[in-house]
Amino acid sequence: MDSDDNLDYYDSDYENQYSDDSDDTANLYDDEEDDSAVNPDDNSKSVKTFTVLQEDDINKRQEDQISHASLILSIPEVSASKLLYYYKWNVSQLHDEWFADEEKVRTAVGLPSDAVSISGTDELITCGICFDPFPIEEFHQMVCGHWYCKLCWKVYITTSITDGPGCLLLRCPEPSCKVAVCRDMVEELVAEEEWGKYRRYYLRSYVEESKKIKWCPMPGCENAIELELGNDLFDVACLCSGTFCWNCGQDAHRPVHCDTVAKWVSKNSSEAENTNWILAHSKPCPKCKRSIEKNHGCMHMTCTPPCNFQFCWLCQGDWREHNEKTGGFYSCNKYEVAKSKGLLDEVEKVREMAENSLNRYTHYYERWVANHKSRDKAIADLNALETGILQNLRDKTLESEGQLKFIKEAWEQIIECRRVLKWTYAYGYYIPEDEQVKKQLFEYIQGEAEAQLEKLHNQAEKELNNFLEKDEADFGVFRQKLVGLTAVSHSYFTKLVAFFETQKW
Amino acid sequence: MVDFSRVQKELQECNKDVKISGISVKPKADSLSHLIGTIPGPVDSPYEGGTFLIDIVLLDGYPFEPPKMKFLTKVWHPNISSQSGAICLDILKDQWSPALTLKTALVSIQALLSAPEPDDPQDAVVAQQYLRDYQTFVGTARYWTEAFAKTSSHGMDEKVQRLVEMGFPEALTRSTLEVVGGDETLALEKLCSN
Ligand SMILES: [Zn+2]
Ligand SMILES: [Zn+2]
Ligand SMILES: [Zn+2]
Ligand SMILES: [Zn+2]
Ligand SMILES: [Zn+2]
Ligand SMILES: [Zn+2]
Repeated sequence: MDSDDNLDYYDSDYENQYSDDSDDTANLYDDEEDDSAVNPDDNSKSVKTFTVLQEDDINKRQEDQISHASLILSIPEVSASKLLYYYKWNVSQLHDEWFADEEKVRTAVGLPSDAVSISGTDELITCGICFDPFPIEEFHQMVCGHWYCKLCWKVYITTSITDGPGCLLLRCPEPSCKVAVCRDMVEELVAEEEWGKYRRYYLRSYVEESKKIKWCPMPGCENAIELELGNDLFDVACLCSGTFCWNCGQDAHRPVHCDTVAKWVSKNSSEAENTNWILAHSKPCPKCKRSIEKNHGCMHMTCTPPCNFQFCWLCQGDWREHNEKTGGFYSCNKYEVAKSKGLLDEVEKVREMAENSLNRYTHYYERWVANHKSRDKAIADLNALETGILQNLRDKTLESEGQLKFIKEAWEQIIECRRVLKWTYAYGYYIPEDEQVKKQLFEYIQGEAEAQLEKLHNQAEKELNNFLEKDEADFGVFRQKLVGLTAVSHSYFTKLVAFFETQKW
Repeated sequence: MVDFSRVQKELQECNKDVKISGISVKPKADSLSHLIGTIPGPVDSPYEGGTFLIDIVLLDGYPFEPPKMKFLTKVWHPNISSQSGAICLDILKDQWSPALTLKTALVSIQALLSAPEPDDPQDAVVAQQYLRDYQTFVGTARYWTEAFAKTSSHGMDEKVQRLVEMGFPEALTRSTLEVVGGDETLALEKLCSN
């Protein structure tokens, strides 16, 4: 992409969008004045792009389609059920082909229109499988007139069900005969357990043959997600509370593209040996060197007394330098190549390059991991809030549940922002070296968003605790700050996401 | 459990017309789950005149599971491994049906000898030769038939005699030679390891 485009975009759209709500945000941000009407919930106008299907929903859809097809094609439901499976639930193709040449469809699927009629006989008939002679009552009659005793049928169908979903296409054992074994026959002949398996395969086929429905990949979850056609927003949320990318099955990663995610995930596993240390839970304080455990979600660390040094978990720099009030931008998100140590010979150059390349990767990976963990922590915190803390708070403030909703909304905003931020680090790693303008713009937007999120996260974690512990704190002020920071974070992250929507890669 | 009552009936049925078809099935030992099938090489093929022995193992699910079959007699054919005798044939895999029998399976194998399917090969070397140099393929297949598939008729007595002279009982020698497709060295190996 041409870098001029970026600048244009930045100058016009971005600025306009930015200034729309910057009046509100500026006030709130300065911790002064009273609350303005900022709705942190304007997420809600986004359209629903998917549907969660539970087992009953899938079953109902299948049965509806079966009875509909049965009506339209004037055939029994068992036949309709077979046809729909054969046509992979493509109703229009089934209709087209059926009305074009019914006999052809019947032959292909194995549903002959006329049955071979056999009048009762007193003679014994030899079963085509066990070769034993039996009276006619011992047989299960198929429309094709091939004779197999009930026991052989049972074993035949049971064996096929045990072998897998191929049982849904089972036909008469006679190799030259293509007559289909329909579900009424399966239900009549096999044991309860196999019948259950057969029905499961049938149910699953509805999802597995569909181009727009996929199973939820969360362990133990049996729901499926249907994506609205023509939709390229792949992030979906299942009823099991799992969120994932419908397209590639990874954790939800909007706004970053599936290709980037795939590259990143494989990079991470190939670099695992070099990056184990990043998964550590504690780091030495940069000032007093005591080991400090990270037990908050935000990156703002405070060393234990008497040191009390405030530093950044990610870069271990002084936290005060992460504040735009001191002048510069939030820049902890940027990777700076270490200055070369003067004249180097070839070997040293190669070593330095390798070192730089690992350092660069480490920079992004560490931030990716930190945000991932921070999000998990936020999810746990929200959970704790809903299962207890909120009640304490109600007792203390005498506020109604609705009036305390803003706390929950703040946490939901944090969880979503951590997710987006995490994936923007995978994206950042892959920005080509020669796209400096784009890189700078991206890092600027990312840095701004990250700085706001740290404030919001800090407020939600520590200030809430302060409020619960200290009696003199003013709940009105707490609310005002949290609502404001939620809105500001939302706005900054909307801009961050919007940046991606202008990118082709 | 193998349905032995059905296997019994199959053997009777198959061996009834062995004079016409040339195809027979016999138990390998006293168990009905391990059998030896015999098929004559089809006329107008490089296998004509040969007699091919097939090792047949019946799994517990038989006849609802396919029988396991492989050539004991060495054979040069695109769909049969020249090393192991493994056969690539759909009815021995996913196209098996309990309405088929050991006899129908052996008939299909015989048909496969007449009409190889080099596009779905078991032995890539043979299949390549079949496609690129058909004349050489026919020559090699004929030579293998002469060398390995005719020994049971020609020179069998001499082989039996030689082995008996080494001190092995005649009946055992004959059955051993039959099992290994007339290969004297293999038979000796087997006899010595007993
Ligand atoms: Zn039967
Ligand atoms: Zn039939
Ligand atoms: Zn789920
Ligand atoms: Zn994806
Ligand atoms: Zn310290
Ligand atoms: Zn930092």
